[in-house]
Amino acid sequence: MFVEIDNVSKVFIDKKLGRGIVALRNIGLKVKRNEFLCIIGPSGCGKTTLLNMIAGFENPTKGKIFLNGEEIKSPSNDKGVIFQEFSLFPWMSALENIKFGLNLQGWPKKEQENIAKKYLTLVGLEGFEHSKSHELSGGMKQKVAIARTLALDPELLLMDEPFASLDEQTRQDLDIELLNIWKEDIKTVIFVTHNIEEAILLADRIIVLTARPGEIYKELKVELQRPRNLFSEEVVTLRKRLRKDITICCNNGHKFGD
Amino acid sequence: MTYFIPSLKDILKEKGELGDENLDFKNTSINFEEPEFEYKESIIRKILLKLVNGFVSFTIILLLWYGIAQWVIHTRNVPFPTPKQTFSRLFALLKGENLYGETIYDHVTASLIRWGIGFALAALFGILLGIALGSSKILYDTTMPTVYVIQLIPGLAWIPIALLIFGLGNTSTIFMIFATAFAPIVINTCGGIRSVPPVYVRAAKMMGAGKITVFFRVMLPASALSVVNGLRIGLANGWRVLIAAEMIVGVGQGLGFSIIQSRWSLDFESAFVCIVIICIIGLLIEKLLFEIIENKVVERIGLTEGK
Repeated sequence: MFVEIDNVSKVFIDKKLGRGIVALRNIGLKVKRNEFLCIIGPSGCGKTTLLNMIAGFENPTKGKIFLNGEEIKSPSNDKGVIFQEFSLFPWMSALENIKFGLNLQGWPKKEQENIAKKYLTLVGLEGFEHSKSHELSGGMKQKVAIARTLALDPELLLMDEPFASLDEQTRQDLDIELLNIWKEDIKTVIFVTHNIEEAILLADRIIVLTARPGEIYKELKVELQRPRNLFSEEVVTLRKRLRKDITICCNNGHKFGD
Repeated sequence: MTYFIPSLKDILKEKGELGDENLDFKNTSINFEEPEFEYKESIIRKILLKLVNGFVSFTIILLLWYGIAQWVIHTRNVPFPTPKQTFSRLFALLKGENLYGETIYDHVTASLIRWGIGFALAALFGILLGIALGSSKILYDTTMPTVYVIQLIPGLAWIPIALLIFGLGNTSTIFMIFATAFAPIVINTCGGIRSVPPVYVRAAKMMGAGKITVFFRVMLPASALSVVNGLRIGLANGWRVLIAAEMIVGVGQGLGFSIIQSRWSLDFESAFVCIVIICIIGLLIEKLLFEIIENKVVERIGLTEGK
């Protein structure tokens, strides 16, 4: 197994209430190499926390997470992350943002330039090399963020609702573009979202988490040919099913296991 | 100009979202005139406007000053310097006339040097401490209250402390400038470091950055604007306390010294000249130095919107 989440729980200390809050409970999950996994669940179910732990930003309270058999303890550039917030450094141009990580990887100056340009072109932002963050639209910022992460050639790509702050149309376009990029350069992706359609459009497998404390409620394989048509019969059936699942686990989630 | 609007049907067909059902949408087109609109903003016009504004506010100050002078002269029968007297004295002093044993240039230079040294020390230690407090929660919790208390002490209240530590003279003035400029620099630097969005730090770590890289390439640029603001407040605080300190702490040179001397010699025109010079220097520093630095920083760290 490529990524192995071994019975992981996460408890946060709420200082005001003076007690621990269980964000995630007994998550056990295995991800195959080159799999596109979507984690879906109501807001506050701890899906971002789970991703942060896989990225190494936070450590599990209980349990361990392994990447390629090695325990994950801290962030590193073999686990690329694309954040929900706009995370480009505003004092650097698009190209400099991409070169930041390449420089840390020790590429020679000229190579940095070439790789950065290549990935900027890959996300369709040729000609925006010298634009700064505030000169780019929300969608373009996230595209640069994707280019910045892909340029490091990470083994694992972690995406935390990367398009949630964008408008619906842009989100759909970026989903399609992400799939195209993924097809060219297949990587293991763990993609967190609360959007059912997005999950069906992208994933090989969908994990549904319950409301807090987050537990795995259901696992669903999506074995449909890509690109998927959101209006095809199979997809519509799947959507309805997932919608029902989420409604159930959202409303009664906290009762499960209690 | 005519714009062609594709029908909803075409759009849906293209996206493959329309089945066999044959809905009837009519092609629509709308007509509208491109509005006549021209907007020019020339630099000359901008500068002219600034000059006019400056001139107007300057005139208002002069008129008020003149009015008050006349009123005081007539009601209290004391020689309140009018703008005219003040400016003729200013020109005389600028020509090199003696003022308490020195030229006006010597007094200005003496004040500027004290200010510069006090401020430079405050900037150096203030930024360093600010960074330390911003980076360590324990340091912040234990030390920040003290810095806030220091900030609450009015500039002149430092006089006894300065005198006790350094005695009469130059060092006391420099210490007072340091003391008043220090706290705002620490507070702003620390605030800047603490308010760096965590996602920047995470992104840098994810790209393989270590602590040192994160600090120099993420924390510092992200908090640069706060630091500049702190320096700006510190500089203004220092300037204000400098004049007051020179009046009391016993130095033989400087603008504050000249003002207080003029009280004994009843040379109020010279005092007014010093006040005018203080205003001009403050204005120059603020408008020329800090506005330029701030704009540069804003542009450099990419916070400029539009344009």
